[in-house]
Amino acid sequence: MTLPGFVLRNALRNKRRALLSTLSVAASLFLLVLLQTLQREFTLPPEDVGASLRIAVRNKVSLGMPLPARQRPIIERIPGIAAVTPFTFFGGRFRDEAFTPFAQFAVDPVAFTNVFVDARVEAGQLADWLADHRSCIVGRDTLERYGLSVGERLRLTGTFYPVDLDLRIAGSYSGTLDDRSVFFHHRHLDEMLGGSETVGTWWVRAASAEVAPEVISTLNATFANTSAEVRAETESAFQMGFVSMWGNIKLLIGSISGVVVFTLLLVAVSTMSMAIRERFRELAILKALGYRRRELFGFILAESFGLSMLGALLGAGGAFLLFQSIDIQKLSGGMMLYFEVTPRILAMAFTVAAALGILASIPPALAVARTSVVEGLRTLD
Amino acid sequence: MALPLKYNVRNVLVRWRSTVATLLGIALVVGVYILLQAMAAGIERSSANTGSPDQLLVVRRGSTAESSSIVSREQWRTLLYSPEIARTDADEPLVSADVLVLLNLPRSEGRGEANVLLRGTSPRGPALRPQVRLVAGRWFQPGRREVVVSQRLAQRFESFGIGDQFRSGPATFTVVGHMDGNRSAFDSEIWMDADEARALFDREQYSSLLLRPRDDAAREALMNRIENDRRLQLIAHIESEYYASQTGTATPIKWLGNFLALAMSVGAVFAAMNTMYAAVGARTREIGTLRVLGFRRRTVVLSFLIEGVFLATLGGAVGCLLSLFLNGYAVGTLNFETFSESVFEFQVTPAVMLKGLVFAWIVGVLGTLLPAVRAARLPVIASLKSV
Repeated sequence: MTLPGFVLRNALRNKRRALLSTLSVAASLFLLVLLQTLQREFTLPPEDVGASLRIAVRNKVSLGMPLPARQRPIIERIPGIAAVTPFTFFGGRFRDEAFTPFAQFAVDPVAFTNVFVDARVEAGQLADWLADHRSCIVGRDTLERYGLSVGERLRLTGTFYPVDLDLRIAGSYSGTLDDRSVFFHHRHLDEMLGGSETVGTWWVRAASAEVAPEVISTLNATFANTSAEVRAETESAFQMGFVSMWGNIKLLIGSISGVVVFTLLLVAVSTMSMAIRERFRELAILKALGYRRRELFGFILAESFGLSMLGALLGAGGAFLLFQSIDIQKLSGGMMLYFEVTPRILAMAFTVAAALGILASIPPALAVARTSVVEGLRTLD
Repeated sequence: MALPLKYNVRNVLVRWRSTVATLLGIALVVGVYILLQAMAAGIERSSANTGSPDQLLVVRRGSTAESSSIVSREQWRTLLYSPEIARTDADEPLVSADVLVLLNLPRSEGRGEANVLLRGTSPRGPALRPQVRLVAGRWFQPGRREVVVSQRLAQRFESFGIGDQFRSGPATFTVVGHMDGNRSAFDSEIWMDADEARALFDREQYSSLLLRPRDDAAREALMNRIENDRRLQLIAHIESEYYASQTGTATPIKWLGNFLALAMSVGAVFAAMNTMYAAVGARTREIGTLRVLGFRRRTVVLSFLIEGVFLATLGGAVGCLLSLFLNGYAVGTLNFETFSESVFEFQVTPAVMLKGLVFAWIVGVLGTLLPAVRAARLPVIASLKSV
């Protein structure tokens, strides 16, 4: 029998225990990968095709404060700006849902298509939307989720604004990272509110990536010391603002990951010790036959390492395959966008498993090394 | 029956290494589970702890949160002199018209920025919220740019010490006092004078009204009147009920807690099974002896089950103890209703601990059942012969 064959037979001698050990490592590593992916999701701003060129402009006080509509001509005169659209969150509720998972925004349709260039709308539908200021375009995900069709009416109860919307669906859009929102004419909202002079935020597209920083600082400077100071930032920085609001949740996930790894280690050490204790007599015989301590350690290490790597393959690999094959965006109602198991996370999981395999083999190996041959042969347990 | 029980307890003690490993594993799983549930409990308690059942909170019909509601000055004047409202000794109605503004302010130690809720409140506002106490400094004066911040927020945000100043929008505010909301939602707020706030942030309207009716009958009458007056477009909630319903933020945390617990417990069950199978394997001869002595199969199953549950109970208890260290630890996270940072405390309540213990028992039973059955099925003669 070859040495690898010997190790393999030993590892599989108690098949139930080998399976249970592997599965417990797999379950814990699955969890670890899940937590790390979740952590990444919370710390990463969504990246869109046009994100590097898009600039969000909000009231400096907070997102909750509106901006005066009269800022628009001033913004349009700033050099380096390709397009500007108002972008006002309507916050309506659909049907009798307690929580409506898609947002609705009032925009300037022509400028909107120039700012959000990655949103694709069929030409005929786009023309229809532009022509009728009581119509809207709906993200494809939302359209499919509710089984709506073009031409139907979309009624929304206002929660932020004291008006309700009754819009005709002129078309759908797709191709953005988050195809869920509803966009309608700002003019319609203004009419409903009786000539509102405010907008929620401005969204701007810079002419090129080079001028974007310049545009941002000009925007901030232009409205400094006015009654409505603004905070202009890139789309990713704007999204990061949302991300940072999760606060301690991130820390919590980090600590839980730590606990998971520690628990994992405990379990692995205890099962490995058990497996070795069972074979104390045999190991003593091997010792008597002239095998050296480091060779015995090699056997134990190979077995422990192999089992924990197999667990990692099942757990981390399983998580990778699972998250890749399911549509997490739909399942989480849009809370999660990517949920991608990156090579980095996989590498981390395997490193943990490797460390685990090595660490778990040390206590039993030490126990074997310390025991004399005679004692080992005599042991019963 | 007495013998196996003692036997199992002794076993747990004799094989202390694997016992400790299993026990700690279960303890950590239970600890994590309890902590997440405790956080959800903290959020729920802060909502449930807010407001009084004797007062009415009036918001715009259709608005989902106080912060997105609008109450006009006309509506305020219409309700202000309602005969149902209690009056002070100076014969002024006990009404507070509040305005809520979201401020984006820097967190302490450069940890980014977060939204905080600023409540502009009337001179009678603090008196209508008796659970809020001033703990340091003084109350703000009407007509001045002075704020009182919750002492829990003061630990989390920059320039919230008494005497500090911070800027937002067109104005600079001076912190003149710290308040304590007694673990209510007010612990996540900044308070100042309502009319000053309206002027500074260019708000024509108020966000909500807080009314104290004379008595229960007056409260019912006023609620009905507001409800049925279509012109008002307002709705009156009993204050405590309104806040109690604002617990949406707790839902995803609970969900995460349950999911994590489930995933971790799968691992824990495997580990427990492993330990128990090993225990059975190592004790084959002893089990055979027990059977020969006349103990029945189901007694053996039961005794192993009891051993598992005993281990799980110990583990669960250790988990509870571990989680107690974090009882009262304040964390901040995004509140989905107000879109601002809310401060909560881990609330390790007896109910949460009991949930943790039940959870540990489930892990114990699931992890022990199969090995116990195996132990009972061992043929007596063969097991006696085994080494």
